Amino acid sequence: MEQQSIPGGDEAREAAPVRADPELPGPYGVGGYARMLQRELRRRARVLLVGEVSGLGRSRTQAFFDLRDDYGAVPCAIWLNDLERLGLPEDSLRDGAEIVVGGGPDYYPGSAQSSPSFRFRATHLRLAGEGDLLARLAALRRQLESEGLFQLQKRLPRPLLPRTIGVVTAERGAARRDLVAGLERRGWRGTIVWGFAPVQDRHAAPAITTALQDLAARPEVEVIVACRGGGSLADLWAFCDETLCRTVAMLRVPVVSAVGHERDTTLLDDVAAVACSTPTHAAEAAVPLDCTAARGQLGRSAGALERAAQGAVSQRGRHLAALARGPARALQRERLALNQRTREIRAAAARRIGERAAFQRRIAMVVLGRAARRADESVAAAGAARRRDGEALRRSAEAALSRRQEALAQTRVALRAHDPERTLERGYARAEDSEGEPLTSAAGAAAAERLRLRFADGSVGARVEDSEIEREEEA
Amino acid sequence: MSEKPESYEAAVERLEQIIDRLDSGQAGLRETLDLCREGQQLVTYCAAELDAVGEGLKELRLDELAARLEQEPAQATGD
Repeated sequence: MEQQSIPGGDEAREAAPVRADPELPGPYGVGGYARMLQRELRRRARVLLVGEVSGLGRSRTQAFFDLRDDYGAVPCAIWLNDLERLGLPEDSLRDGAEIVVGGGPDYYPGSAQSSPSFRFRATHLRLAGEGDLLARLAALRRQLESEGLFQLQKRLPRPLLPRTIGVVTAERGAARRDLVAGLERRGWRGTIVWGFAPVQDRHAAPAITTALQDLAARPEVEVIVACRGGGSLADLWAFCDETLCRTVAMLRVPVVSAVGHERDTTLLDDVAAVACSTPTHAAEAAVPLDCTAARGQLGRSAGALERAAQGAVSQRGRHLAALARGPARALQRERLALNQRTREIRAAAARRIGERAAFQRRIAMVVLGRAARRADESVAAAGAARRRDGEALRRSAEAALSRRQEALAQTRVALRAHDPERTLERGYARAEDSEGEPLTSAAGAAAAERLRLRFADGSVGARVEDSEIEREEEA
Repeated sequence: MSEKPESYEAAVERLEQIIDRLDSGQAGLRETLDLCREGQQLVTYCAAELDAVGEGLKELRLDELAARLEQEPAQATGD
């Protein structure tokens, strides 16, 4: 503190010190110091503060209260005159109300009989609007999110079918009834451990936090539901409490948040494992399994297993029996197939033969046609040749005949010339034996003894009288 | 299967696998009978779990529970 003139300081300095003082200014009279403090504080800038009202009290002239948030509190006072001038609705200033106050710090120095006190002297006061709360909520949301606290609960496994559920809610709230109805609609009739807590005043957040911690400490509790009906953001403000949300983030048990209605979003919704819009929805999140449907499904599964077990044996039995009949059937099948093939082969052979015969017929027709044509041509040629040869032959025959007739005539002439008869005609006679064979030698005539002399006009018998042969001299 | 399932959801998941396998028709006789036996055990387990949350809603109060727990150790010490 800078050196200042403090009223009453001289009197204080006259008092004899009992022991050595530290090296500090003073000592000053406390009353002067108190007034100096009052002046100093009153010089400080006037500001607006926002917080929750607690410990509200009134005197004849002033209203007193503490303005709190999660980090601290300031004692406040407002003159009743100022308060009335503001024209606030009745009961606006009450414990738990979120308000905004305007003013500055003040110090009452007290006196010999009255106690000193520090106050934030409010000259302006209003209920905190949604905007004020939303701004605080947004800042807090950013802070918790940056610390990764929104993810911790969401990583926790949630059981499909919990046996025990912890619920934090108001004992007489409608949310309690709705949650139970929702659970029963799912066919769930397990154990609920109720952690009742106020859900709308300055005691709500600590009480809810404690209830959540106590429920999470119970080993049988598998999931916790925190629920409350709808309201203004100020009404739901307990569920935006930083301590509560930090506590929930660190719990080992998943927390289902069902605070307010669909349009209401509290900080607990961000931190919790699941955020639901209604208690009914929270019931479905807390017990994901529809127990009624699951019982039906389980019955069907049991039936399927039973059928599979029975069917596995009987089906294989039938299969085995079918296998046993297999060889005979296979033989029959093969036999049928063989017969079929035989028929096919026969049909194919007949078809092939027919085709081949037809082909051969066509070939024969072609060949014969060609041969006939050639024969016709040949016959025609031969006819022509024959005609030519016949003519030549005729001509040749005629020539040959002519030549032969001529030769014959010549031969006849020659023959006639040599005809013995013609010789006989010329006066010669021919000697013949008794047989008529001509005798051409003297020896033959001598041997025949009797002979016949043939003349041109006839023959006469003769006898050989001198059988000696006289030889003619060769000239 | 002789071990108790970890949870209802684990049991249901295994049961679905078993039924899918049986429906596929690819399991042999021995495997089919083993799967059926395991499946029946799972059905029994699941039915017991459903029964546990089907007998009637039981409601406890946290403060009463705490008070009871505080008494129990005292009684135990007294014994």
